[in-house]
Amino acid sequence: MAAQGMPDLSNAIVAQDEMGRPFIIVRDQGKKQRKHGIEATKSHILAARSVASIVKTSLGPRGLDKILISQDGDITITNDGATILTQMDLDNQIAKLLVELSRSQDDEIGDGTTGVVVLASALLDQALELIEKGIHPIKIANGFDEACKIAIDQLDKVADVVPIEDESYLLKAAKTSLGSKIVSKSHDHFSQMAVDAVMAVADLERKDVDFELIKIEKKVGGSIEDSLLIKGVLLDKDFSHPQMPKQVKDCKIAILTCPFEPPKPKTKHKLDISTVEEFKLLQEYETKKFQEMIDLVKQSEANVVACQWGFDDEANHLLLSNGLNAIRWIGGSELELLAIATNGRIVPRFEDLSPEKLGSAGIVRELEFGTTRDRMLVIEDCSNSKAVTCFIRGSNEMITAEGVRALHDSLCVVRNLIRDNRVVYGGGAAELTCSLAVSEAADKQKGIDQYAFRAFASALDTIPMTLAENSGLDPIETLSHLKSKQVNENSSRLGVDCLGKGTNDMKELFVIDPYIGKRQQLLLATQLTRMILKINDVIISGKDEY
Amino acid sequence: MAFSNQTPTIVVLKEGTDASQGRGQILTNINACLAIQETLKPTLGPFGSDILIVNSQGKTTISNDGATILKLLDIVHPAAQMLVDISRSQDAEVGDGTTTVTVLAGELLKEAKTFIEDGVSSHLITRGFRKACELCMHKIEELAVDVRKEDADEFRQLLERCARTAMSSKLISNNSDFFTKMVVDAVLSLDQEELDEKLIGIKKVAGGSIEDSLFIDGVAFKKTFSYAGFEQQPKYFTNPKIVCLNVELELKAEKDNAEVRVEQVKDYQSIVDAEWKIIFNKLEEITSTGANIVLSKLPIGDLATQYFADRNIFCAGRISHEDMDRITKAIGGNVQSTCSDITPADLGTCATFEEVQIGGDRYNLFKGCPEAKTCTLILRGGAEQVIAEVERSLHDAIMIVKRAISNHTVVAGGGAIEMELSKYLRDYSRTIAGKQQLIISAFAKALEVIPRQLCENAGLDAIELLNILRSSHAKGETWYGIDFQKESVGNNMKNFIWEPALVKINAISSATEAATLLLSVDETIRNDEQEQAGPPQGRGRGAF
Repeated sequence: MAAQGMPDLSNAIVAQDEMGRPFIIVRDQGKKQRKHGIEATKSHILAARSVASIVKTSLGPRGLDKILISQDGDITITNDGATILTQMDLDNQIAKLLVELSRSQDDEIGDGTTGVVVLASALLDQALELIEKGIHPIKIANGFDEACKIAIDQLDKVADVVPIEDESYLLKAAKTSLGSKIVSKSHDHFSQMAVDAVMAVADLERKDVDFELIKIEKKVGGSIEDSLLIKGVLLDKDFSHPQMPKQVKDCKIAILTCPFEPPKPKTKHKLDISTVEEFKLLQEYETKKFQEMIDLVKQSEANVVACQWGFDDEANHLLLSNGLNAIRWIGGSELELLAIATNGRIVPRFEDLSPEKLGSAGIVRELEFGTTRDRMLVIEDCSNSKAVTCFIRGSNEMITAEGVRALHDSLCVVRNLIRDNRVVYGGGAAELTCSLAVSEAADKQKGIDQYAFRAFASALDTIPMTLAENSGLDPIETLSHLKSKQVNENSSRLGVDCLGKGTNDMKELFVIDPYIGKRQQLLLATQLTRMILKINDVIISGKDEY
Repeated sequence: MAFSNQTPTIVVLKEGTDASQGRGQILTNINACLAIQETLKPTLGPFGSDILIVNSQGKTTISNDGATILKLLDIVHPAAQMLVDISRSQDAEVGDGTTTVTVLAGELLKEAKTFIEDGVSSHLITRGFRKACELCMHKIEELAVDVRKEDADEFRQLLERCARTAMSSKLISNNSDFFTKMVVDAVLSLDQEELDEKLIGIKKVAGGSIEDSLFIDGVAFKKTFSYAGFEQQPKYFTNPKIVCLNVELELKAEKDNAEVRVEQVKDYQSIVDAEWKIIFNKLEEITSTGANIVLSKLPIGDLATQYFADRNIFCAGRISHEDMDRITKAIGGNVQSTCSDITPADLGTCATFEEVQIGGDRYNLFKGCPEAKTCTLILRGGAEQVIAEVERSLHDAIMIVKRAISNHTVVAGGGAIEMELSKYLRDYSRTIAGKQQLIISAFAKALEVIPRQLCENAGLDAIELLNILRSSHAKGETWYGIDFQKESVGNNMKNFIWEPALVKINAISSATEAATLLLSVDETIRNDEQEQAGPPQGRGRGAF
């Protein structure tokens, strides 16, 4: 009765009874995977490394895109770190942590999602070497924390304040973030769009930008340069009746949340119609209702009706014959945006319509695209400019989707600058100066922290090195050259000249990043490293069989 | 006991029932507990590592908290289950020291194992352990330092130090300055009589670094689901009047399952009007109270949202029960379940109300509340697992602070108190004759596991440091323990590594109880019908 039928206990929690037979303490031991001690830490680091190596080549203006095919065959082409990682559907736990890392950078800052993953894996790589030397993982993590503080102090020191009133700086920052994206050939256009959009909705006093007010719409067709910013609202709808005029000027818009139908009680009800007279009465009642509704709209002097629900055919006809343009089936959030943009009030029933509740817009027109019969409605010259729509065009679905992501990144960059108007220089310049500061501080440390500091410094070097590599430069040569230059010229603005413009001065090239974005990258990467280093035991339950 | 195959089998219990007994059973149980202890050991102390557990649903937890790990391990062995229970009871009672209690119980059993193997009756061992435990309790009470509660500054420091010690082994140990303040503020803001930690709201928002976490002296909750029109409401108020409702503000059928029979077409309109009138009456009554903010546990529909937007009133529906509870605690006022007869006394207020963006979500913040018997911590972190672990760590720290308020005697951590107790027991054991002498000194030895494990986890030389500790305690240095900064020994009372005495008392007494209970079990009968599917030949005698 020895080993037969026994589950595989080679890596489970095992105890033996007095006869030397192993017995089970934890449910489903055989199916559980277990890793222990340094072995676990090492395998985590390897997992992190392989994740980072996937996104590594997307870093920087010369970074390459990835093509991702989902299970349903949808294709995404992107070089946005967060998007790549989320769509990869990873199974490894540590890899999932890295995905969350880039996602939280995305949520908070919106840019630098690739950089943070590369940095975290570089830190782990360095930690691996130290662990092999026999240093306690938590001591390494503590050292990294200290080093991170120094790096952030250095960032503080070298950060430049830019006047956000001057749009040119915002434009440059937006341009930096677009540098690596597919839209980079029209990045002037896109960065202008991003800056205009954010400035239109920004509350400069509270330093708050509500992204709910910026809507991004995409439509396949045309080229990426045809993308435009609409100071108003764009609805993917058309007028309810094909014969309505395609353009209305000086609009008064009635925004309704009730259907153009005879009102119905919400309580369950039943109407027995037993005679022809009654049926006629009902019909009369309905016609009367429609007429009443139209009259109420007319009385309020509205000339456009925007409705959340549908219309009865009869109502539609009546609207046309009364010269009212109407839009139906507008979604709740779009309706809200429309109300905000036009300063109108959302009206729940016809009786409540009054002239002061109407929204006003300079022009409502129908856009027609190419030869397809697709139409969209543009509502412009609204009384409240605090609602804008970015309309992205592109030759195929993938490009428009990537355009939306790129625009989102640059919107975030501009918003971050409005929140905190300090900038650091890109192209790896900020990482280099931090690396120099940390390695200088390393020699002043007592004890094991020295090693951790040096490791942190070399991890920071990974960013400029990767940039150089992706741009086809010799990474080591570029790095050493830049380092010596930064020290000799005592300038923190020198970075990798990715595009071969002939200078390393990032200020001249206008490659700037928001300070809070960089700071966040450092902090998040260090904290995640700590978390991974601290794990020394992994228990994975078997998947349920059924 | 290998004769079982030769004796004729008399079937007393149903087939498939698993029975095992005798000394072997005790040893088996001890082995099971030791295996669990082995798993938890590396997580002890400031250099303790974390364990990553993935459950069968694929949910990942990374934790250092003993109770959490044991809960997730899904232990089936009945004896090992006991350890889970004591760590849980420690968690419920004091909130911290869950790893300590498990490690200690395991070590006591390990010491007892040698005695059992030598044929000492388990009753003698249990008696010895109980005696030793009792002695420890008295000794701790005698040694514990009382911190005067009158001196507010000193008292606050006490709390901060206790919180810091509790956090030292967690992920957030490097941010402990930041979090100790947060935790102590949070607990002090509670009603000092009741100290109901449920009133400390903890909200988790992914993104941002750990130190971006916020302390709010009031209530915060995530923006609830809103209808069109919501964005047109004002999002900032100073000294608003707030009305809390438990009323659904929606145009709907007032009675479910009711059916109206409409006789005539003209009646049709009047029913529609009546329904509108009901909702409008409610809304008017609310507006007439002069409230600026309307909160409800039940949905607030689009009609009401737009109605409020028209009148510059902010509203939020579908607020969860706990949030609403804390809101009323913070702002005063009562939850109303009708809209009529709302008196000004039923309205609450706060200094500022604001909707802000935190990470990817928008949050409603009520700050500067007059009653302020509650507060909210908004935790941030790079990954969900990070935040979850921060929350568990803070929970431990909060519980410790709470304990320290009601029970303000402290002892030094870092193995100091264990070493002192160990020395005391060893001295005592020499004064008595008989087997008890051995057992009590075994208890003393078991206590040393705490400093030993602390050293091992930090990669220090455990044997050397323990020797130094023993000699310094023999010289009368009561509070000497492991000093991780210097990687040697030091006076942990002066280093401010403080723990509430209650934590230790509870840990030692529940560890002893668990150990004695396990020692007195010598037979397991398990009627497990699922096991019948196993290999039929030979009745296994282990706990298999």
